[in-house]
Amino acid sequence: MFGRVKLVSVVVSSLVSVSAFAQQQKIGAPPEASNMKLVGYNDLQARSAYQPTIHHQGDRYIAYIGHHGGTDDNPDPINPLTGKAEPNGTSIVDVTDPAHPKYLKHIPGQEGKYESGGAQMVRVCDGKSLPKGDPNAVYMLRAVGSQGHEIWNVADPANPILVTKIGQGLKDTHKNFWECGTGIAYLVSGVPEWRTRRMTEVYDLSDPAHPVKIRDFGLPGQEPGSTGAVPTELHGAISLGPEANRVYFGYGTDKGGIVQIVDRNKLLNGPKEPTPENLRYPEVARMQMSAFNGAHTVFPMKGMPIAEFARDKDGQTRDIVMIVDEAILNECGEPRQMVWFADVTTETRPMMISSWTVPEASGNFCERGGRFGSHSSNESMAPVFYKKMAFIAFFNAGVRALDIRDPYHPKEVGYFIPSITDKTDKRCVTVDGNERCKVAIQTNNVETDDRGYIYIVDRANTGMHILELTGPARAIAGLK
Amino acid sequence: MWRWLAILVGVVTLSALSAVGAYQLVRPALDHGHARWQEIAWNFPRDGWPAGRAFRCDSCGEGGTGVELYVRPKIGFCNCDTGVADDDEVDRVADLDLISEKFVPTEAGKVVRVADMKGRSRSYDLKMSDGSQHTAVGIALSHRCDLLVAVAQGRADADTMQRVALDYLASDAMHHWMMAALGGH
Repeated sequence: MFGRVKLVSVVVSSLVSVSAFAQQQKIGAPPEASNMKLVGYNDLQARSAYQPTIHHQGDRYIAYIGHHGGTDDNPDPINPLTGKAEPNGTSIVDVTDPAHPKYLKHIPGQEGKYESGGAQMVRVCDGKSLPKGDPNAVYMLRAVGSQGHEIWNVADPANPILVTKIGQGLKDTHKNFWECGTGIAYLVSGVPEWRTRRMTEVYDLSDPAHPVKIRDFGLPGQEPGSTGAVPTELHGAISLGPEANRVYFGYGTDKGGIVQIVDRNKLLNGPKEPTPENLRYPEVARMQMSAFNGAHTVFPMKGMPIAEFARDKDGQTRDIVMIVDEAILNECGEPRQMVWFADVTTETRPMMISSWTVPEASGNFCERGGRFGSHSSNESMAPVFYKKMAFIAFFNAGVRALDIRDPYHPKEVGYFIPSITDKTDKRCVTVDGNERCKVAIQTNNVETDDRGYIYIVDRANTGMHILELTGPARAIAGLK
Repeated sequence: MWRWLAILVGVVTLSALSAVGAYQLVRPALDHGHARWQEIAWNFPRDGWPAGRAFRCDSCGEGGTGVELYVRPKIGFCNCDTGVADDDEVDRVADLDLISEKFVPTEAGKVVRVADMKGRSRSYDLKMSDGSQHTAVGIALSHRCDLLVAVAQGRADADTMQRVALDYLASDAMHHWMMAALGGH
């Protein structure tokens, strides 16, 4: 009897192991996809990638990709264009022909590994759109490692020229935002006197060669000289500019998230001394999330028509904010990080209306290795996808395409999980005192362009995949 | 009769003096690593991190006022390269806000080490919800990309509190538990 039980349990556990093993990615295996297909690829010199920004520059499309610092195994990868070892910085890739992306330039970043080095964040504005910019210039703003920010002229993207440096000796930098129409920039910085690693430095970069600091901003309790509990640190902001007069700040990564809606005019023109009163003055509303989730990306979509509410006498359109948490631990070591939608139509009473996650069992993602959970969304507001579809970077579950036309009921309409390559870096966890590593795709960020291409980049050094929608997902965006 | 009574009083007096002497000899030893720590309930509502462990030492602190110590790992919450960078980081991570949102540092922090973990410790005045003042010591130790945080609170002076807390964290039993909680290394 015991022999039979033993045999059955061995068979069952073997099947479970085989099933888990079968979910692990292998070099040479095809990508996993639904309603999305690969158009082009670039390995980004096997550098760990953060935010891509796709800029329509004259008659070309140029992708600017920020990088984290290097890895323990390879802190300064070789740049094949120069033959030199260079600390990870910014990749510049011509994606005019998305099937044949052409790597143009690597601008080295700050020495340092992982989040302590590199140049993670990048935003691009045309000089002609900035009030006092050189009309012949194209400006790239980038966060450089933990220490400061830089602006480069990338009018000739293969030969960028440094314009200026902003800030020195900061505690950290991160996910900046730059209004191209006004030049106002919301830099995520760690000003040394502040009690947090990441807060906001508001700058006037309308003349990128001559940055003018407007003020420091953060949550009361983070400012210099304050005492007591320190509120969650900033992740990044997205502004809707002077007409909408709103800036949306996301605080937190995988814990204690806060969404803060701010009156832009009061922020820019109100009293600037960082006192608790002055920091509260521009705040319109604040939504405290669960301690289990952070707010990496806070993406506003005002005035969304909701089909289900079309015949209602009031409230047919809603102001929606999509909130994306960031998973930080490998192999499901934390509460699930996912996507949330908040209805902020009545601004001072924001309310969560829905959430969405990849079903873990659909790919045994907790066993694949690396992080599983959301990280970020596309941030382009080009009409092709804005308020219709959202693309979510979901680490080992690749990129997920959501139909968000009814944000009360978001639904997945496509996905793409790239194949791993020999460059894909391992991700490890400690089990019983021993390190156990697996190799899996780690789709970290995603961006779209106004043609409808989707660009995903990998944190585990796999590179950049350029995708397009197929089948019914394509129809949602109105693409032929 | 009176003679026997005098002998008895003498014996009792001598015994009492011996006991006082013995106590005086033993107390420093208790404060230096043999304090009687007893595990108590982790009495805080759920937050972003799983609950840790809580201890109380009645023999620690002046006049038997006692010291409470709360310890837990915060996995993935530390800069892998810089470790615990500064005092602001201790303010942010050391769980002082579990006890009271209102705390004021009383001095610059100092570098501390427990086994192979390095970090910082800082002392604070806590304003409790009933208006009373407590002393607290926040401790943040880095272990690769993870943190081990501890907060000690009570009415003892900050130096004593820091000393007994660090001694206890460095004890074999606590070190073993902390390493296991941080992944087994």
